[in-house]
Amino acid sequence: MSFKSAVITFPGSNCDRDALCYLQDLTKGVVYNIWHEEASLPQVDLVILPGGFSFGDYLRSGAMASKSKIINDVIKHANDNRYLLGICNGFQILTEIGLLEGALIQNKNLKFLGKNCFIKKKFKNNFNLSIKEDQVLQIPVAHNEGNFYCDNETLKSLKNNEQIAFEYCKGEFSNSEENINGSIEAIAGITNKKKNILGMMPHPERAYSDFHPSQDGKLIIESLIT
Amino acid sequence: MNDDLILQHGLTLDEFKIIKNYLNRDLTMEELGIFSAMWNEHCCYKTSKKWLKKLPTENEIVIQGPGENAGIIDIQDNDGIAFKIESHNHPSYIEPFNGSATGVGGILRDIFTMGARPIATLDSIRFGLIESEKTKYLLNGVVHGIGHYGNCIGIPNIGGECEFESTYGFNNLVNAMAVGHVQKDKIFYSKPKSIGGLIVYIGSKTGKDGIHGASMASDVFSEDDEDDKRPSVQVGDPFMEKLLMEGCLELMSLGLIESMQDMGAAGITSSSVEMASKGNVGVLINLDKVPLRQPLSAYEILLSESQERMLAVIDEKNNLKVREILQKWQIDYEVIGEITNNKRVVFESNNKKVVDLPVDIIVDDAPEYDREFYMPRKRKGKDFDFSNIKLEDIINTLLSNLNYLNKSWVFNQYDSTVMGDTVKEPGQSSGIVKIHGTQKVIGATTDCNPLYIRINPYEGMKYTVAESYRNLIACNINPLAITNNLNFASPLDPNIMGELVLSIDGLKTAAVKFNTPIVSGNVSLYNQTNEIPIKPTPVIGMVGSNQDLKKINSNKFCNIGNKILVLGKQLEKNLSPYLLQDQNLASNINEYNDLEELDLDYEKKVADCVLEMSDFKYIMSCNDISRGGVFLSLLKMQYKDMGFKVNIPDPIDLFCEYSAGYVIEIRNEDLNNVTSFLSKNGVGYFEIGEIIRENIEINSKKFDYFDIINNYHNNFEKIIN
Repeated sequence: MSFKSAVITFPGSNCDRDALCYLQDLTKGVVYNIWHEEASLPQVDLVILPGGFSFGDYLRSGAMASKSKIINDVIKHANDNRYLLGICNGFQILTEIGLLEGALIQNKNLKFLGKNCFIKKKFKNNFNLSIKEDQVLQIPVAHNEGNFYCDNETLKSLKNNEQIAFEYCKGEFSNSEENINGSIEAIAGITNKKKNILGMMPHPERAYSDFHPSQDGKLIIESLIT
Repeated sequence: MNDDLILQHGLTLDEFKIIKNYLNRDLTMEELGIFSAMWNEHCCYKTSKKWLKKLPTENEIVIQGPGENAGIIDIQDNDGIAFKIESHNHPSYIEPFNGSATGVGGILRDIFTMGARPIATLDSIRFGLIESEKTKYLLNGVVHGIGHYGNCIGIPNIGGECEFESTYGFNNLVNAMAVGHVQKDKIFYSKPKSIGGLIVYIGSKTGKDGIHGASMASDVFSEDDEDDKRPSVQVGDPFMEKLLMEGCLELMSLGLIESMQDMGAAGITSSSVEMASKGNVGVLINLDKVPLRQPLSAYEILLSESQERMLAVIDEKNNLKVREILQKWQIDYEVIGEITNNKRVVFESNNKKVVDLPVDIIVDDAPEYDREFYMPRKRKGKDFDFSNIKLEDIINTLLSNLNYLNKSWVFNQYDSTVMGDTVKEPGQSSGIVKIHGTQKVIGATTDCNPLYIRINPYEGMKYTVAESYRNLIACNINPLAITNNLNFASPLDPNIMGELVLSIDGLKTAAVKFNTPIVSGNVSLYNQTNEIPIKPTPVIGMVGSNQDLKKINSNKFCNIGNKILVLGKQLEKNLSPYLLQDQNLASNINEYNDLEELDLDYEKKVADCVLEMSDFKYIMSCNDISRGGVFLSLLKMQYKDMGFKVNIPDPIDLFCEYSAGYVIEIRNEDLNNVTSFLSKNGVGYFEIGEIIRENIEINSKKFDYFDIINNYHNNFEKIIN
């Protein structure tokens, strides 16, 4: 049975094509591209909310997108226990919808951050099964609001429920930083309690082709498929 | 009309006389506004036209040369590459964030107006000395603005340059370049096809921003002007531009558009006049139909430079379909006029003709000046005293000078990997992106050596073009064509005019030799504030390609133990201008020796050898040699835990500049093949050393590896904070 997936496009999405190629090349299955004003989603195994500036993000990032028409069906899709992945702006949208806890605030140095970063997995879930303990992945980030924040109680529950999927870490370059954007406990990605929804700031869809500096982004799709 | 009013509109009294004699009647205010917008330097190139005509603009791969929104070249199959560079210098000084952001917005529109999807941007930015708080403010604002706009719309920034030099202190330069991919059979031009076609307005509503922006860009500044001129700076909205880009590209892919023109400098005036002129037709536009953000007079509508707006011509039968598609993208759309056959530009407002002018007088009769210019003085030879210059000191001065340091503080604020096709990110010899869905890659770079050009504009410009050329060659990218951005001070000074004339001549000589025609460009004059003229800064943007992604050279060391060779011809210490400047040996411009003549034949011969050795896979990594000499190239090539040891009779030679200079890394087993290949082809080389682990050694003397590497990577940020 082939793996089916979909990418939602908001007017200001700019990583939707990248996410489509990523899914087409790695899943070999059907990939739908769904416009935000459509009322329903086809039955798929995975939905990606891609990166970008969904509605210009002049309000809080992802705030307007979280009220889009398609979002009702995205929530339904997740409630059916199927996979939902929010990358960068997609992660911000998931926190705005309330499907994931916490919030993404401005990077600690108040500047956009576009570079390769290093992450490793924290707690096991279906999105990172193929990744070894302590394996360092090199994946680019590109965000202005990627600094994950939550209150102490939420943080405690994220830990107790093993919802932290990825954290930033030092890489092989001597000048790489441990926590690039000031996130609490260097959190780079979290899941919901049921662990079928993942939000992450790094862009795995920019690290999978032979010509990319790293192919570590493949591991997320591989984890879901196998 | 009184003289003051005419002068305020940037026209000379003589120019006004020409217009009046031609029309034989009084002008309306709106008409005066049109001439102000169309006859300024920025729109009609009245000073540079005579000289720009001399540039080579055609060869077998040029699909579109200068004169359209962007130039287009053929990279085989059905693929074309559209590219152009444009300046936003004055707005970026007055309001750095919006000034630079709208510079990016404008150049992206130039690309997608032609049906091309933008695939990369580059930026060439220059500021005064960092000791000034003003410079820090400008640098932060400009970098933030460029990043904000490009990141939001989602086009990767793949390279550029950032220089600090005192003459840019009150007149910083912001030149933005964009590259797009177009299918050759789907190129759109600004020339309308049929009489009776509807003129339609697409994009943001028109507001008061940017009124008289183009004439401001053609003016000398004084420092107090800053606050007065701020309302002339446009405000950008990258989200709207994203919608506009997707909407326009969708309309074009469906063939619903006949022609399109971006409303950039001088807004609706310039775009409609150019449409009429290109098509040899007339335009009739009703200004009452223009979507407005606030109540505006006809005069203001004509001159507004509000961003994210397009003018297009469509067939009436497509009107509903076009409206429907633009509604999906939530973009304003109005039919505002039609193409007529009377070759007149007519604007109506409140049932009255406010402008009724023949197209010819606006465009063809625009003034063209042959301004006086002086040739530079001959220079006397001088020997500089290097006896007190120690190797450690040179290294320390390099590592505390922003111009040499790793500029990741700048480019980490840009998204360089969006679109997923970036092969080489900024900070390397040239930026490289893949053409989506193919194995082809496009390389692009921007360069200028203002110091060289001030010393000798003709030779200096040859060096500048050669440096761009080497940036591409070092990556095994075949250089194809050029876009240029000629930034100069006031051409009314015959010395400055001489620099303009001679550097264009140098550009021509080099472009002919390299077979890299100039397909688009921009001229920015009057870059001086408080009587301080900028150094001549004709920036080159060069684009090239390789059909096979796998053949691209690395610019970073690959393996410990590999040999390091230096190719090309070293300039003597006394003839290396940046070495003399940055070691404080030459204190004023008159002291420098003349530049050594650049042998373009040799430059091309070495380049051909590098390309051939790259295809043979002899070259493991490569970097060109420019400011900072061999030493800086080695630092740029340093990667992971690798370092280098070199032996050289006079270590100061490590910092000299070069012609045809490259540092290459090769495997030991290829050494004989490579050296005999180079000798056979008459290319000078020097086996300088090898790659070692976590060490830097010069003539057996060990330097602190981690100190040098960390300073090189981190000092930029330390210094600017």
